[in-house]
Amino acid sequence: MADLAISTQDLVKTYGRGTRGLAGLDLEVRTNEVYGYLGPNGAGKSTTIRILLDLIRATSGTVRVLGLDPRADGVALRRRIGYLAGDFVVDGRQTSRQLLTYLGNLRGGVPAARIAELADRLDLDLDRQIRGLSKGNRQKAGVIQAFMHSPELLVLDEPTSGLDPFLQQEFVRLVQEAQREGATVFMSSHVMSEVQHTADRVGIIRDGRLVAVESVESLRAHAVRSVTLTFDGGFDAADFARVPGFSDLTVAGPTLRGRLAGHTDELVKAASRYTVRDLLCEEPDLEEIFFHYYARPEADHVPA
Amino acid sequence: MFLRDVYPKALWDARRSLPGWTLAIAAVALMYAAFWPTVNSPEMADALAAYPDGVLAAFNSGDLGTAQGYLGGAVYGLLVPLLVAVFMIAAGARAVAGDEEAGTLDLVLAHPVSRRGLALQRLGAAMTGMAVVAVVLFALLVALRAPFELETVTVGGFLAMNVQLALFGAMFGALAFAVGAATGSKSLALGVSAGVAVLAYLANSVFPQVAALGWTRNVSPFHWYLGGEPLTNGLQWGGVAALAGTTVVLAAVGVLRFGRRDIGG
Repeated sequence: MADLAISTQDLVKTYGRGTRGLAGLDLEVRTNEVYGYLGPNGAGKSTTIRILLDLIRATSGTVRVLGLDPRADGVALRRRIGYLAGDFVVDGRQTSRQLLTYLGNLRGGVPAARIAELADRLDLDLDRQIRGLSKGNRQKAGVIQAFMHSPELLVLDEPTSGLDPFLQQEFVRLVQEAQREGATVFMSSHVMSEVQHTADRVGIIRDGRLVAVESVESLRAHAVRSVTLTFDGGFDAADFARVPGFSDLTVAGPTLRGRLAGHTDELVKAASRYTVRDLLCEEPDLEEIFFHYYARPEADHVPA
Repeated sequence: MFLRDVYPKALWDARRSLPGWTLAIAAVALMYAAFWPTVNSPEMADALAAYPDGVLAAFNSGDLGTAQGYLGGAVYGLLVPLLVAVFMIAAGARAVAGDEEAGTLDLVLAHPVSRRGLALQRLGAAMTGMAVVAVVLFALLVALRAPFELETVTVGGFLAMNVQLALFGAMFGALAFAVGAATGSKSLALGVSAGVAVLAYLANSVFPQVAALGWTRNVSPFHWYLGGEPLTNGLQWGGVAALAGTTVVLAAVGVLRFGRRDIGG
């Protein structure tokens, strides 16, 4: 299927002594989407990514990445992929410029100007020895090597763990730019917040299986938000108790607090009868929904 | 230019260690070679005559009365091959397993590089290091033949000795490479290779002193390297073939196994 950048069918990976890595993974990542691959540590995220890169081989099942088989066409495939691990480790006895030149050459050459431009954006000094760099600065070199050849597919394994907020923001921009230019992004994480700003869809993996796939938009729509309304003058709390999805109401003087699931429309209409001095609606906490999926027993599968 | 591919990069990464090893091995060889004029005296000959033959044989020093015997014993028989074995075992273990254990192999293999290509290029760089050591050693000894009073050894003899030394080192490099590439464990690669080196030494110099264990010499890489006295008699084709053949087999096994297994991480 041409519109799938990554597809796996019934992918199983068993490590020695029967330890399960993957237990029948069916994954579909569409071309040009940003896919957040979420799950707790040990769920099989890295196992999946290592199979996509042909660092390890599946016990059974099929994998296609950009229409190719990672095992048979690994070299041709990896030419079109950019990969970044959260714990980016390289030999420290070289400068970032030397490292990036070498890695670029393995890909047939990346213009020095492109490397310089990315280093400038991320504020990385290319001529310092890597061993003298902080973890954040090292990770910058990792980010550059993943993006510098403008790959068709970016495979990012917990990419922003340990990055400062500035770099996280710049990273989000790089991901969004790559998507605008046509790239597909497959990003794993164990926290929702790492992917919610960029992902179109998220897949949740547990115990080596995909337990849910949803668009971030629908996750958001079903998310519970905490809402605070402050009124000029009196109001009747009963008006708000009738709003569907609005619960846990508390009243403190002119302030009404509650938790809202679903659309805000009914609540806003109920509030419009009064003079609203302030309305605070917090970003939906996707993390909460995420934990809700974790807590489910394995048998309770949600159709993808 | 050193950053163009895996092979030149591996040489570039050895830019400090290779000159260091070359210097150390050459210094030890030259220091011992420089003693030859002193050793070659009647007083020394008398002193050595007091040692039992078994002890001298155990140190590959059966005949200390000639330049060939002295060089083949003290220099090429013990210290130089020992240092070369350590040098090449370390290089072979580092080629794949060292990188893998450090966690830095994933990144390179996530690039458009084939497993076999990477393994062969890394091994090639280790072999290049061995060649550099052997060539430098050969050139220095030939250049210092006259001042060290070693003229009875021909240039051809030095050439043969250093070719066999290079093959000896290549074999241990290939052994450590093969164990490391097949298993991903650097410590296993170092341990197995060091064990084989010790056994090989004993099988050539100590075990044969027991008559029933005479056969062990024939399967010892030390014997393949030293047997037939290359310094005197030139290249020993049997030993050359055994060392080269074992090297090729080990390299092939390592490359093939590395191509098939999971990379640790």
